[in-house]
Amino acid sequence: MSRLLEIEDLTVDFSRDGRVTSRALRGVSLTVDAGEAVGVVGETGCGKTLTGLSVLRMLPDNATASGRICFEGQEMLELSTRELRSIRGRRISMVFQSPGTSFNPVFTVGYQIGLVAERHLGVGRKEGQALVAETLHAVGLPNPESVMRFYPHELSGGMLQRAMIAMAIICRPSLLIADEPTTALDVTIAQQILRLLRRLQREQGFGVFFISHDLDLVGDFCDRIAVLYAGRVVEMGATAQLLGRPRHPYTRALLEALPGRAQPGAPLPTVPGAVPTALDDAPGCPFAPRCPLVVERCFEERPVLASVGPDQAAACHRWDAL
Amino acid sequence: MSVSLDSPEQLPEAFRSTGMRSRALRSLRRDPGALLGAIVITTLVFVALAAPLLAPYPAQGQGEANVPARDLAPSAEHLFGTDHLGRDVLSRVMFGGRPAIGVALAVVILAVLIGVPLGMVAGYRGGWLDEALMRTTDLFLAFPPLLLAMVISATLGASLFHAGLALAISWWPWYARLARTVTQSLKHEPFIDAARVFGVREPVILARHVLRNATTPILVQATIDAGTVILAVGALAFLGLAAQPPTPDWGLMVAEGRTTVVTEWWISTFPGLAIFAAVLAFNLLGDALRDVLDPRTGGR
Repeated sequence: MSRLLEIEDLTVDFSRDGRVTSRALRGVSLTVDAGEAVGVVGETGCGKTLTGLSVLRMLPDNATASGRICFEGQEMLELSTRELRSIRGRRISMVFQSPGTSFNPVFTVGYQIGLVAERHLGVGRKEGQALVAETLHAVGLPNPESVMRFYPHELSGGMLQRAMIAMAIICRPSLLIADEPTTALDVTIAQQILRLLRRLQREQGFGVFFISHDLDLVGDFCDRIAVLYAGRVVEMGATAQLLGRPRHPYTRALLEALPGRAQPGAPLPTVPGAVPTALDDAPGCPFAPRCPLVVERCFEERPVLASVGPDQAAACHRWDAL
Repeated sequence: MSVSLDSPEQLPEAFRSTGMRSRALRSLRRDPGALLGAIVITTLVFVALAAPLLAPYPAQGQGEANVPARDLAPSAEHLFGTDHLGRDVLSRVMFGGRPAIGVALAVVILAVLIGVPLGMVAGYRGGWLDEALMRTTDLFLAFPPLLLAMVISATLGASLFHAGLALAISWWPWYARLARTVTQSLKHEPFIDAARVFGVREPVILARHVLRNATTPILVQATIDAGTVILAVGALAFLGLAAQPPTPDWGLMVAEGRTTVVTEWWISTFPGLAIFAAVLAFNLLGDALRDVLDPRTGGR
């Protein structure tokens, strides 16, 4: 399989008045192959969304990214705004967490999706609208011709998310960034959306960068998973290996905290403590204060991501104790 | 029993998308004030345009004196009476709508065309450009509109054109500020980010996404301002700084009748009522527009 996206040593700093105030990503390395679904999981604030936004260079004004992001052979961090805009929406697309606010309330859904097609495919208004109808049909919306004429507030969350996906795939991108695409939806609709994404991925063969805090969901959907903690990848591997035999205590803790795996009647397990702040830069393992397997060495020496088996790497001194 | 999760949700039956036109009509029907405003404005504009055909004494309406028939009280022959030069007040009120409404529209359109693009760019870009544009705006705001109009009239000569120019110059900064504020609040909306994620260019984001969302407050403000400008032009004319005699102009006519307002009350009262009706109508219409133009509140 060919390499689609390669993130190497990505660091994102937030600064104010020229001084770095926090370091949100601390050397994240990840790859996505063509047609592959890679999941990124972690608690709130560990840098999942920021990683996704970095790929599109959509970081806030006060953030700077360094490292390397290579997409289809192009260095994303070195592209001009112009080159970037021709990639956004065309080669890389994104599906957002809340479809309700991601559409402009004063334009019809069809018009907004059409704008993207007109922008990137060089088609006229009429041709674009025909393509929109076709794409809305492809994402499973009934009566695409009438749905197109609806304003966003006239559609349900599930229908809007389908429309959002239509907007994301209308130009046949090779990478789709899905930032918690189901979090704002209820469970049955979420399942429909995931099935839809999987079907489209099979049909069109795009790679997926799937951001979620839900390991179950990611396990269902993705070929490989990266676990992020405090701005670093702490474990990465093929889904079966990583979920079957986690080699980082944080991954294990997340798995144990899944409601589906808890003993009925027993209190839900949690991960005690909180993610260290983005300012904290103590030596050693960032997870050490919350780790049940912690030893002296964990506070002194930072573990690096190292192979712990076929298709699996973990950043833990004590991985073999798991 | 299993439920197919792949079946897409069904469209609610009684759920049709409503266009802006049907919403506009519905809202007009439900809001008597808006209906009144629309009717009054339509009537005033129509009468002003068709004045040469409708006015009982078109020549007098445009200034021809008829001194023997001066200061006649309202009668069947002269519904609104005649003024000091014997001209039919009704005809003059009809013709008087032309400069008033014409200048009001010109001033507001000019102010919107100058102010809105500047304000949007300032609000969207921020930084030094925002500072520069907004300080320039403040500079213009430093002059009270009527004072500026007086200065311009005094230096360039008093005329309707100069009055309009002066008003436009002192009016656009308000639109720049309004557009800037709206743009700033829109800039961080997820749908603007979404548009950027999908590669939409900045001018397109501004011209479509931002402008369309800013249209409602701007149009509402412009409509209400049209009334305010009529009032301002009237005031300038009253002071002799806008239209010059014998041009028929509401403000000027009020001024002409001011010395005899107790005895020959009709000379000032009818043009004054016309000003009042126009200002009120534009205000009512502005309020109604706000409801019509926002699809989220439309027709509710």
